[in-house]
Amino acid sequence: MTQAVSDFHQQALSQWVGKSDKFQRLNADGSKAFEALPFPTRKTEAWKYTSLYALTQQDYNQAVATFDGAEVAANYQVDSLDVQQWVFVNGQFQANLSTQKNESGLHMVRFSDASAEQLALIEKHLGQVAENERNLFTALNNAQVQDGVFIYVEKNTQLTQPIHIVNVTTQQGQAASAFNRCLVVLDQLAQATVIEQFVSSDAEQDVLLNQVTEAVVGNGAQLQHYRLHKEHESSLHFGGVYVDLGRDSQFNSYQVLLGGKVKRLDVLVNHNEGGSHCEMKGVYLPKNDQHVDIHSYIEHKAAHCTTDEIYRGIMADQSKAVFNGRIHIHPDAQKTLAELSNKNLLLSDKAQINTKPELEIYADDVRCAHGATVAQLDETAKFYLQSRGISAQEADIMLSFGFINELLDSIPLEPLRVALRPLLAQQFSSDRALTQHILHDEAGA
Amino acid sequence: MLSIKNLHAKVEEKDILKGLNIEIKPGEIHAIMGPNGAGKSTLGNVLSGREGYEVTDGEVIFDGKNILDMDTEERAREGLFLAFQYPVEIPGVSNLEFLKASVDAVRAHRGQDPLDSVSFLKLAREKCKAVNLDQNFLKRGVNEGFSGGEKKRNEIMQMMLLEPKLCILDETDSGLDIDALQVVAEGVNSQRDPNRSFIVVTHYQRLLDYIVPDYVHVLAGGKIVKSGGKELALELEEKGYGWIENGAA
Amino acid sequence: MSEEINQYIKSEYAAGFITDIESETLPPGLNEDVIRFISAKKGEPEWLLEWRLKAFEIFMEMEEPTWAHVHYPKINFQDISYYSSPKSMADKPQSLDEVDPELLRTYEKLGIPLHEQEVLAGVANVAMDVVFDSVSVATTFREKLSEAGVIFMPISEAVHKHPELVKKYLGSVVPQRDNYYAALNCAVFSDGSFVYIPKGVRCPMELSTYFRINEQNTGQFERTLIIADEGSHVSYLEGCTAPMRDENQLHAAVVELVALDNAEIKYSTVQNWYPGDENGKGGIYNFVTKRAVAHTNAKVSWTQVETGSAVTWKYPSCILKGDNSIGEFYSVALTNNFQQADTGTKMIHLGKNTKSTIISKGISAGKSQNAYRGLVRMNPSAEGARNFTQCDSLLIGDKCGAHTFPYIESKHPSAVIEHEATTSTVSDDQMFLCQQRGIDPEKAVSMIVNGFCKEVFKELPMEFAVEAGKLLEVSLEGSVG
Repeated sequence: MTQAVSDFHQQALSQWVGKSDKFQRLNADGSKAFEALPFPTRKTEAWKYTSLYALTQQDYNQAVATFDGAEVAANYQVDSLDVQQWVFVNGQFQANLSTQKNESGLHMVRFSDASAEQLALIEKHLGQVAENERNLFTALNNAQVQDGVFIYVEKNTQLTQPIHIVNVTTQQGQAASAFNRCLVVLDQLAQATVIEQFVSSDAEQDVLLNQVTEAVVGNGAQLQHYRLHKEHESSLHFGGVYVDLGRDSQFNSYQVLLGGKVKRLDVLVNHNEGGSHCEMKGVYLPKNDQHVDIHSYIEHKAAHCTTDEIYRGIMADQSKAVFNGRIHIHPDAQKTLAELSNKNLLLSDKAQINTKPELEIYADDVRCAHGATVAQLDETAKFYLQSRGISAQEADIMLSFGFINELLDSIPLEPLRVALRPLLAQQFSSDRALTQHILHDEAGA
Repeated sequence: MLSIKNLHAKVEEKDILKGLNIEIKPGEIHAIMGPNGAGKSTLGNVLSGREGYEVTDGEVIFDGKNILDMDTEERAREGLFLAFQYPVEIPGVSNLEFLKASVDAVRAHRGQDPLDSVSFLKLAREKCKAVNLDQNFLKRGVNEGFSGGEKKRNEIMQMMLLEPKLCILDETDSGLDIDALQVVAEGVNSQRDPNRSFIVVTHYQRLLDYIVPDYVHVLAGGKIVKSGGKELALELEEKGYGWIENGAA
Repeated sequence: MSEEINQYIKSEYAAGFITDIESETLPPGLNEDVIRFISAKKGEPEWLLEWRLKAFEIFMEMEEPTWAHVHYPKINFQDISYYSSPKSMADKPQSLDEVDPELLRTYEKLGIPLHEQEVLAGVANVAMDVVFDSVSVATTFREKLSEAGVIFMPISEAVHKHPELVKKYLGSVVPQRDNYYAALNCAVFSDGSFVYIPKGVRCPMELSTYFRINEQNTGQFERTLIIADEGSHVSYLEGCTAPMRDENQLHAAVVELVALDNAEIKYSTVQNWYPGDENGKGGIYNFVTKRAVAHTNAKVSWTQVETGSAVTWKYPSCILKGDNSIGEFYSVALTNNFQQADTGTKMIHLGKNTKSTIISKGISAGKSQNAYRGLVRMNPSAEGARNFTQCDSLLIGDKCGAHTFPYIESKHPSAVIEHEATTSTVSDDQMFLCQQRGIDPEKAVSMIVNGFCKEVFKELPMEFAVEAGKLLEVSLEGSVG
C-alpha cells in the first residue's frame, strides 16, 4: 500500500467513523472491513476500469449544509406527485424543506427520531443486505452510519402516493464528504414507490457523496424504486442499492444516471425465496469528461424467480462508462428465468465503454440469456431521416433519444416520465429547436 | 390391442387417475373427452411411461404384453405412439437426423435392417408431402421455430413413418385453425387400418367431425364416468361437462 | 431426471495407458541449473540461454494468477521434473526405422499415423510431428514439404537450422513477461513444432503435432511457433493425450502464430489430456498461452475441441494488428466429473476494419465447472471494426456449473460489437420426446450435444471433425445399465 492510500484509509476512519453508541456493532464491523479491504487498483476486478487514485490526493472534511441547497431542491419538485418529500443537503436533513403527511400504515422517520419499536426494526435490518465485502464505500458507510431515513410500510398497506427523497450537494469551498443512508422495509403484501433523487448546485462540486439504500421486500410485497441522478459534472458519487426479496415479491427499479466526474453505483438484488421477480431498467448518458460505473449483482438463490434487466448507455465526448452486470444462479435456483441486456452507443472517437455481462450458473434447469452490444448511430437510419429534410444534428438527437425511448416509456409513474423527458433531451442539446420533436411526442400523447 | 384395468396413477404425490378401465380392439378409434384437469394428458404420459408419472395400481396390457415395466423407448418400439400436445423444440438436432434415429430404432426392434440414407430420405419426403409440410423442415432443428400447426403436422408425419400399432393423439387439435385441423385429420384418417387403433384425447367435439370415433368416453375425476357412441360427443358439446360430472357425483 | 441423464455420460478415457520405456528424466526441481541443463541438452546458442534465464528471473518475480474460475491446490514447482526424454532418443535417430519400436507402438495405439506410406494409403493428408514428453520423436513428410519450401521440424532443430527466423519471431507474440505460465514456459520449454510457410505458398498438406505426456511427475512445456509469410496458407492440427495417473501433471505450453500480410493460418486443437478419474483424482493441469498476430488482410482461425484435462486455463487469442485482418475462435469445451475449464479468447482489434467472430459452446456435466472468459477490445485505432460473439452453455445434470465472463471494451465509436449468450439444459421434455420415438436415452443425449456443437464442428478439418464427434461421444458414452 502506498503512503497516500494508507493515509486515505486512516483519514477516512478517523474523520468519518461515528462516535455515538447506536449501531455500534455495525459501525465496528464496517470499519474493520474497510480497513481490511485493499484499496482498489486496476488489478482489483470490481474496480478494473475506475481509478480512485485522485481520491487519495486530498483530505476530506465533514460536509455541512449550505443555503443554496434549498433553491436546488425547489428546482426538482415534481409537481402533482409528492406527498412526502424529504430533502437532504450534503447529507444533512433539512426539516424546513421537507414535507411530511401522514398516511396510514406508513412509518417514515429519521433513525434519530425513531420510537423504540421502530428502532428495533431498524436494528434488525440495517446492514443486513448491504454487505461490507461488496464494496469499500459500503463498508465505510456501515462504519459511520448514525442517521438516515427509515421507511416502513405495514402489512397489506398499499401506499397511494410515492415517497420522494432528494439528496442535494453544494459547494463547500474545500474537499468534504457526505453520507446518507436509507432503509426501506415493506411488510407482507405491502406496496410502495420510492423515488431517490440526486442533484447538485451549479457550482463546482467538492463533496464526495456516499449513499447507501437498503430495501427488504417482504413476502408478496412490491417495491417500485427510482434512482435518478442529475449531478454536476464535477461531483463524486459512490452509491449502493441493496435489496432482499421475499417470496413472490416484486422489485421494479428504474435508474437514470446523468452527470458526475466519477459516479459508481452498485446494485445488489437477492432472490432469497421462491417466486420473486426483479425488473431493472437503467440508462446512463455520460458526456464531456464524466465517468460512470455500474455494477449490478443479481443473486438467484431460490427457485422460480425471474429477472429482466436492461441497461442502455450513450457515451459522448471523452466520457467513459463501465457496466458490469452479473447474474448468479445458485444451485437451488431451479426454473430460473433471467435475462440481461446491455446496449451501448458511442457518439465520439474518444468515448469509451467497458461492458461485462456475466452469467454464473450452478443450477441445471434454468433459462438464461444475456446480450451486449456496442455500436454507433445507424448511418442508414440517419440518412433516411436526412433524406426527409431533417438536419443531421437533429437526426443524431432523434436517433440517440430513440435508443433510450423504450426504457423511458416503460416508467410507470406518468408525472415522472413527463418530467424526465426534457431532462434527458437536454443531455443531447440545450437548443430547444433541436429537441422540440422528441419532446412533442409526450405532449401530444 | 390395449386393455387398461383399474389404472391408478399419481403425479408429484397427487392422485390423478383413480381406477380407469378401457378396452380397445384392433382397428378401433376411441375418443376420450373430459374437462380440464380430468387426467386426459396424464393418461397419454402414463401409457408412454413418462418419468414422474407413477402407476400405483392396475394393469396395462398392450398387444398381449404388460408394458408397465418397460422403458419409454421400449414401449415406443413395441408400437405405441404418442402425438404430443406441445411438441418440444430440440435446437441443433435436425429433424432428418432425429427421424432416422427413431425409424432405425423401431426397425431394429422389429428385426428389420436400417434403411439406407437415400431410401429414407425418399420416404421422409413422401410423408412430408402427405401432411403438406415443406421438405425444408427436414433440415431444420426438431420443431425449432415451427408454428403450432407445423409442429402438429410434424407429429402426424412421424406417426406415418413409424407405423405404430396404437396412436395416442393428445389434444392434437389444440391451437389449430379449421384448415390445419383438416390436414391433420386427413393424415390420421389415411392411417386407419384394421390392425391399428387410436386414442383421440380432446376437449372439443369439433375434431371428432373429422376423425370419427367408434366410441366416446368421458374422463372425469380420474376415471371413465360415461361411455357411448359418437353421438355422446355431440351431447357433451351441447350440455357441457357439468352434466356428466354432476351425474357422476 | 438429471440423475438419469448423468448416468449416461460417464466417460472412459481410452488414451490412458502408460508406455513402458526407459527415460532419462531430470530429478524434480526448478532453478537456473535446470535451465542450463535443458539448454545444453539441446545444444542451444548463447542468446537463447540468456533469453531463458531472463524469463526465469521474470517468473520468479511474478505471482500465480488467481482470477480464473478454477480451484486447485497450489502447485509446487519444485516437485516437477522439467525434462524427460526416452533414452533411445539420445542417439538422435535419423529415420523412423531407427526409432524405438515401443515408442512407435504408443502412437499406433493412439491411432496416429507415423509411417508415410500408411498415411498415403489412407484418406488423411497429414504431416506429423510427434512430441513425447520433452522431445520430438519424429516428423513425417519433411521431404515432400521442403519441395514446397515449407519448413516443418522440431523447434529444437529449427534453432540450429533457421536461427534467424527463430530469433526474430520467438517471443514476438508471447513475450517472457506476458503471464506467469508463459514466463515459466519461456524458461524451461523443451520442444515443440516449428513451421514456416514461404511467401505465396499454400501448404500442400495438413500439418499436425501430437503431444504425449508419458513420464511420471514431469511437466510438459512445449513451444510452437508458426510463421505464415505474405500470402501463404496453412492448416495446422494439434492433438494431446496423457496416461491415467493419480497425481496431477502440469502442461504449460506456448503457441505463437504470425500471419504476415494476406496470409492465413487455421489452427485446430483436439485437446484430450487425461481429465482425472470420476472422483477428480489426477489429471492434467492445462495452462496454455496461445496467441496470434494477424497483419494486413491476414486471417487467423482458432478451432478447439476441449474434452480433457482436470483444469484448463486457455485463451487462444488474436491480435488484429493489420487493417482488414480477421480473427476467428470456434470452441467446444466439454467438462465432466470434477473437471474445471476456464477458457475463451481475446480479440484485440488494432487495425481498421478488422473483424472477429467468436462461437463458444460449453457443455457441463457431472460435477464440473465450465467457464467462458473472453475479451473483445476495440482500440482507438480500430475504426470500423466488427465483432460478433455467441457463447452458449448446455448443462447436463444438476451439480455442474456454467459461467460466462465476457469483457467488452470499446474505444472507437465506429466499432460494432455484438455479444449473445444463452444457457440451456437437456430438458426432461426433450428426452421424453426422443424416448417416445424409440431412441435410446444415451443416443438422445449424444444427438442433442452434437447438435449443440454443430457450428463449431463444421470449422474443423474433415478428419478431425469425425474424431471430435467420436471423442464427444466417448465422453458421453457409458454404462447403460
